[in-house]
Amino acid sequence: MKRMAVLFAVLALSGLVAAEAQDLSADGDAGYRQVTLEWSMAGGEVEGTVFEVWTNASNAFDLELATLHSTVMVGPTEGLAQPPLGAWYDDCSANGPTGTAEPVHRHPNGTAVVPLGTTDIRCVLTGMPPGEEVAIAVRTVLPDGQASLSEVVLSTSSGEDDLVGALPTSPYLFAIGSIVLSLIALLAGLRWLDARDGRTSSRSAHLFIAPALIALAVLTFYPVLYGMWLALTDADQSRLGEQAFIGFGNFVEVVRTSGFLRVTAFTLVWSVVNVTAHIVVGLMLAMALNSSSLKGRGAYRTVLLLPWAVPSYISVLVWRGMFEPAGIINDLLGTELNLLADPAGARLAVILVNIWLGIPFMMMSISGALQALPQDMYEAAEMDGAGPWTQFTNLTLPNLRSALVPLSLLGFIWTFNMFNVIYLMTDGGPNLDFDGPGSTDILITYVYDVAFRDGAYGVAAAWSVVIFLMLVAFSWTYMQRTNATEAVA
Amino acid sequence: MPKQTWLALALAALVLLPGCITEEDALAPGEEGVVQLSVWHSFAAESKEEAAFRAHIAAFEAANPGVEVDVTGVPFAEADRQFMIAAQGGEAPDLVRLSSDQLGKIGDVRVSGQPLLEDLRPHLTPNERSSYDVRALHAMRYEGALLGLPASQDCLSLLYNPLLFDTAGVGYPDASWTHEDLLQAAMDLTAGDVQGLAMPVKDAYWWFGFQAGFGGALFDANGTPTLDSNGSAEAMRWVVGLEQVHGVVLQGTQSESMKTQFLSSKAAMIVDGPWNWATYEAGRIPVQQTLLPTVGIDGDRIAPLVTYKGWSVAKQSEEKVWATKLALHLSSAEVQRTFALETYTLPTHVEVYDDPAVVEDPVLSGFLEQLMVGTPAPTTRGMALVYDPLVSAFENVYAGTMEAEEALRRADEALEADLAEAAA
Repeated sequence: MKRMAVLFAVLALSGLVAAEAQDLSADGDAGYRQVTLEWSMAGGEVEGTVFEVWTNASNAFDLELATLHSTVMVGPTEGLAQPPLGAWYDDCSANGPTGTAEPVHRHPNGTAVVPLGTTDIRCVLTGMPPGEEVAIAVRTVLPDGQASLSEVVLSTSSGEDDLVGALPTSPYLFAIGSIVLSLIALLAGLRWLDARDGRTSSRSAHLFIAPALIALAVLTFYPVLYGMWLALTDADQSRLGEQAFIGFGNFVEVVRTSGFLRVTAFTLVWSVVNVTAHIVVGLMLAMALNSSSLKGRGAYRTVLLLPWAVPSYISVLVWRGMFEPAGIINDLLGTELNLLADPAGARLAVILVNIWLGIPFMMMSISGALQALPQDMYEAAEMDGAGPWTQFTNLTLPNLRSALVPLSLLGFIWTFNMFNVIYLMTDGGPNLDFDGPGSTDILITYVYDVAFRDGAYGVAAAWSVVIFLMLVAFSWTYMQRTNATEAVA
Repeated sequence: MPKQTWLALALAALVLLPGCITEEDALAPGEEGVVQLSVWHSFAAESKEEAAFRAHIAAFEAANPGVEVDVTGVPFAEADRQFMIAAQGGEAPDLVRLSSDQLGKIGDVRVSGQPLLEDLRPHLTPNERSSYDVRALHAMRYEGALLGLPASQDCLSLLYNPLLFDTAGVGYPDASWTHEDLLQAAMDLTAGDVQGLAMPVKDAYWWFGFQAGFGGALFDANGTPTLDSNGSAEAMRWVVGLEQVHGVVLQGTQSESMKTQFLSSKAAMIVDGPWNWATYEAGRIPVQQTLLPTVGIDGDRIAPLVTYKGWSVAKQSEEKVWATKLALHLSSAEVQRTFALETYTLPTHVEVYDDPAVVEDPVLSGFLEQLMVGTPAPTTRGMALVYDPLVSAFENVYAGTMEAEEALRRADEALEADLAEAAA
């Protein structure tokens, strides 16, 4: 009887001892905040046995103060997923009777499951405090609730964090500094030439020009040159900082873009119609306000300046609301128009809004030029019998030419790149083209989409260079045809 | 040497000198022992969510005296873009709130070969991970990396104003409704300046659920786009027809204007998420919720897209351990419980699912029931790119320039082309 009791006790104890995790070893060189833990089982574990990994941020392990890190369960693995190493949130593998290490199976709730007969388990413990010693133990819990604790091992996660280095700004600062230094040298050289040739009155001129020129160099010349270089690379959001030179490939893509001609044509129509309306209406209003017989000129001028005074952001959003099907325009007209949903309607709407926004500036600029015109020539013309229309065409317009030419040129350039009206009114839509600009996109709004929605920085830079060249070509031709520089001189 | 020359040389030196200063030199050292974290949130300004969020930030600071948290609010729709721009300039915050359908786009971005978001897998213990709904956690993974901790989830459902139903003598919607019942009720409720239903018929996010209900799917099991799958065109026609054929949706309704309509009792039903519930209650609308209907008596239920909002750690963060702790705190059971009960934000913490207060709340339990029949939005490159082609498809169908089948076929082709280009 006594022998039977001893035998029974030995058998019971041997089951417990065999199911306990043994031979723990930990390696802290497993990666940032990771420690590899291995343990073995002598065999005898039963289904439902759970191995609990506990950690304690101290070299003295205390289960009361320890934190449950993870669990591995012994059980059937049929039907359970077995993600390969690297595919799950952490890596755990188990050696079976054959000795081959295989990834553990995963219960739908994420618990690692190993089959009966597993001899060794190896897990990468994640979430370890970096650089701090941690005490680790494995508690074996049998299905009947009996539990035993393994030996304690200490480990420190020594893996380094993969810190992102600071983006290099020195090359850019040196480039800007070099441009500025070159300009200073140029101005100094020109000043020396003036002094040598006896042009002493212009000695200070170079000094006065210097600040503006340096500011332009930093804020305009350098970004333009950088953009031109970017246009020759394959820069995009997936390889920023690692772009490679590809020549004119981006420009080819620009020309081949579906809708390239359409968006360019609309941009030209948009610019010409707006500038024409701004000048014609602005001139008419300026002449009306310039009339001395008009009562309440101050009040009219104030009211007509409001579109310019109110931030365009707010004005455009208000206009957008008014153009909505439930907006006030349909209420007043008694219609059910949905202009912004129709390509032609949306184009009409954005053009009308931009005309409304741009008239005050033209009106005030032309008004200033009108007031500078000598009145005696009108008196003389009136004495000669010239009527109002004759005076306007033969006196007013020719004398305003020196103001109208640069105004129209500036107006064209500004309108050509008028981003906010299109963006806020329609965001370039309605977009009926699956792979190209929207119905109301102008070149600059489409470039924004290419750069910041598609992340194609190189292509967007190429588009910007194309826009720049268009405007340079137009400006040069316009100034040549109108003799603008001669008029200014 | 003339004075001006000395002046010019001094100016040149001043301009060139910054180029000699490295990034490490330029950074001002923080107060010793104090950890400074910067957090970007995307809650609406002065909303209940923002108030709750700031209270929990203060609690975190109180519990961790050596940590200071600087909070900045960014518009939700712009959060991903602003984060990418800041990160590309080396100015990313330590922690940012993002949506799971934004991760696919950010996940592809590289600066000098480095991603913008930290893979949180090494930072979490399995026990910490097990706190979250498996679907929610999985939704925050992109190409294997865990890019955020899920703190909330949401989807569309059917909300209604019972007063308008009473006035029109129409029975309230319930889970037994079919899509035809919904249309008939909307038609019965549309009278005068009251519309039966408010929803933006051109917005793909609202259409996704109907596409699933009509038997379609965005992607197949391999992630290949199937925008023109069976039922998709029918779903598109049905949704657009709500406005253009039946007139139960106000012409030109958009996601912001539909809220105004429902708030001013000009719409009897609205397809909306839980995020506006508190606003409707504050506007004294006795809003109720029920499941979106099935398509036909024996058909599939309209399954809205389920998206998840979570906290992501920037790869550039120099305080990743603390940023992760803060992310764990902001997505903890306690914080999620507060958000759920105070702002109707649906939780992702398994402990909160079973919380009696949550279970007994009709709003939360109703939306949780809707979530269970929803479709989790895949966090894939395709999901990040799907919206642009669908915008064009809807615009064409709405404008009558294309049939739905053709529009979706073109959209599918465009998406496949975009995916091929992204993979190249």
